Amino acid sequence: MAPASVTAPKPASRPVLELNGITKRFGALAANDDITLALGRGEVLGLLGENGAGKSTLMNILAGLILPDAGEILIEGRLARIAAPRDAVSLGIGMVHQHFMIVPTLSVAENIALGNRTLRPLPLDLSGVRAKIRQITDDLGLPLDPDAATARLTVGEQQRVEIVKALSRDARILILDEPTAVLTRDEASGLFDAVKALAQTGVSVILISHKLEDIFAVCDRVAVLRRGRKVHETSTKDTDADGLVLAMVGESITAPAARRNSPPGKLLLELDGVALRRGDGSTAVDGVSFDLHAGEILAVAGIEGNGQRELAEAIAGLQPPEAGRIVYDGKVHTRGTRTMELRRRGLRLVPEDRHAAGMLVDKSLRENQLLSHLHARRYNRAGWLKRRSAARDAQTVIADFDVRATSSNAVMRSLSGGNQQKMVLGRELADGLRLLIAAHPTRGLDVRTIAFIQRQLLDLRDRGIAILLISSDLGEIWQFADRILVFGGGRAHGPIGVTETTPSEIGAWMAGHA
Amino acid sequence: MNALVNLLGRSVYAGPALAGFGALFFIGLVITVAGFDPIAALSALLSQSLGSVNGISEVLVRTIPLTLTGLGITVAFRARMFNVGGDGQIIFGAIAFVGCGLLFPTLTGWLLLPLAVIAGILGGAVWGGIAGILRARYNASEIIVTIMLTYVAFQGLAWAIRGPLQESSGIFPRSEAIPEAIKLGLLLDGSRLHWGLFIALGATVAVTLALRYTSFGYRLDAIGESPLAARYGGIGDRATVILSLAVSGGLAGLAGAVEIAGVHGRLHDAFAEGTGITAIAVALLARLNPIFVPLSAAMFAVLSVGVGGLQRQLGIPFPLVHIIEGIVILAFLVATRLQRDAVEG
Repeated sequence: MAPASVTAPKPASRPVLELNGITKRFGALAANDDITLALGRGEVLGLLGENGAGKSTLMNILAGLILPDAGEILIEGRLARIAAPRDAVSLGIGMVHQHFMIVPTLSVAENIALGNRTLRPLPLDLSGVRAKIRQITDDLGLPLDPDAATARLTVGEQQRVEIVKALSRDARILILDEPTAVLTRDEASGLFDAVKALAQTGVSVILISHKLEDIFAVCDRVAVLRRGRKVHETSTKDTDADGLVLAMVGESITAPAARRNSPPGKLLLELDGVALRRGDGSTAVDGVSFDLHAGEILAVAGIEGNGQRELAEAIAGLQPPEAGRIVYDGKVHTRGTRTMELRRRGLRLVPEDRHAAGMLVDKSLRENQLLSHLHARRYNRAGWLKRRSAARDAQTVIADFDVRATSSNAVMRSLSGGNQQKMVLGRELADGLRLLIAAHPTRGLDVRTIAFIQRQLLDLRDRGIAILLISSDLGEIWQFADRILVFGGGRAHGPIGVTETTPSEIGAWMAGHA
Repeated sequence: MNALVNLLGRSVYAGPALAGFGALFFIGLVITVAGFDPIAALSALLSQSLGSVNGISEVLVRTIPLTLTGLGITVAFRARMFNVGGDGQIIFGAIAFVGCGLLFPTLTGWLLLPLAVIAGILGGAVWGGIAGILRARYNASEIIVTIMLTYVAFQGLAWAIRGPLQESSGIFPRSEAIPEAIKLGLLLDGSRLHWGLFIALGATVAVTLALRYTSFGYRLDAIGESPLAARYGGIGDRATVILSLAVSGGLAGLAGAVEIAGVHGRLHDAFAEGTGITAIAVALLARLNPIFVPLSAAMFAVLSVGVGGLQRQLGIPFPLVHIIEGIVILAFLVATRLQRDAVEG
């Protein structure tokens, strides 16, 4: 494999980075189709697009993780070949991934020294690294203690470690992949200030996002990708949210139908004085009591980590509650209650961590169809799998949910996040669904998939399915829920009818005020 | 280099071919460094193993336990369970087989043979299942547990053939000969090749079907790929973990029973030694695909039989064979990895 080669110097005063006709295909799918982009010195460029639009592919090409099939990359006007991540680093490209590459047992300074080829390996000059970290963080106004143990850092602080790591390797082009997805509002605005400060010093930034507010908060220019093509490029001053949304989705999104008007049906789920414990033994939430009827949507609102995951796991029979009683369809949960049995009786779960808990990423779509129905009669005859039924059903989900996949033989990993979620949801709907626990079902998805999934939920409700919607998006909850249960400060509030409360009341409960 | 990557990306046979040539090269290098003529060594190895009817039948005899145990290792590996204790499970299978045979000597053959074989399978399954229970219940590393259980099994065998199962004359540390009814007949007069070959091939078909077409096979794969997803799917329970190691041990136990029934005819101190460890290499070389396990086992059998020739004809010391085995495994692992990288670009 040839190293990064730089050839044919061209006149200066060109953009820092130019992409000309970048194309990358995976099978029949063109992930990047003839993309041309330019990035000026000290410019902040937003890269906007729905899931599967080709943003990640493009960035992985820049990071040296994949090679394009066609097209050229010019850095400071010179043709560059980025065949490996170290080529990207030596060309001054720094990447901050959504999932951080941090060794939790090492300190901040040690993490930043790790893998830095410009440092003398023995003896390691950690004090020099510390000084460099301080210099960078002071310039940017991003506080970061070089000696902190990374395992104890918040997500926002871990992201800072990644940014400082890139800058300590003299990155001139910094790529941030969905940086605000994991941040609180305050942390996000801190990040934006730092990005602006960086741009002042001449560093160019590419910010990948599907949040319009991020784009308007910090970007000078924005390029919109759709289905692998660049469909729109404009200065942020010359556009507005509506224009960008239209460019992103390419069609109008129909708002989901309004609230249910039929009375709720049969009582399906009843919780009485349930207390839930976290993995580390601490109590996540105490005193959860509610009932859920067929044909209604009950939302569980709250900031993440307040017991929502534990609630879903307890109802799904994955872990018994610390105290209290759970009754599904007239039968009390006991220690012997099996997830598989509950699934067979129509209680299904779309897990919040869909990647790790909801699918087998290295298996095909048709094999994934079996994951939560392995013992359904539809797929299983006395221990022998009916693979053809699974393949047919996967095919049906692909067609009904408009999943972008080459075929049902495609590996789950090859799908975009939105398409993966459609496959998971489609699988859970199969064959006798009565109660669906949907944990953050639209998180991290593109606008159109969000609308699609929300429409599905309403559809299910109208068909008499009971839905427990766990969400931290108040807008979503307000639009779709019939009643709201709020987790906050270790307690459960409600449930209360949506029409009988106000967002500010819910917000106060979420913040833990009684 | 690029041409090689291209070739690896294009042809599925390029990887194994590369591994074969790579292994030959390094084996030759080691033999040369050890002060022997590599060409003469290779020809001695091949003539000993494949140069005569007797050699080939010896290779097949060795292939039988390697195939059965290799299938067992494969089953556990599918669930990412590392069964390093094949030897202990073979021993327990053998003890159970012989014990059952000696306990009911009056039963007719068509009843006793299947009974004793089932006892052998159960013996291995219990030995593997213990590791499974400790893993599922207490999260004890199945690697450590299976290794330790192998030591226990070795001592258990030594005790059995000097104690309860020792032949009545009490001279040698070995059991009585098993009843004729439960011996496996020879396939080829004048050789040691026995009907166990068909048991091994039958087991290969059975394991292949089970892994591909049953819910048990799916459970193993699901747990192996993502224990969390399996748990959320309601199929990640402890039973599957225990069962994976029990079935794995059961296949090794079957190997032990077949080895006694076909070759040794009685329990004694050393039989099929090291089979459990070589079987790990067999499973890896077959890329955890049961259908390739017999082929992979035959390759290692050629090595192990051929080495006798190295020793006899050239005086090459026996430990070299372990080095050679190691080189073969490494070559195939590296080639597999290179090929995967080439395919994924």
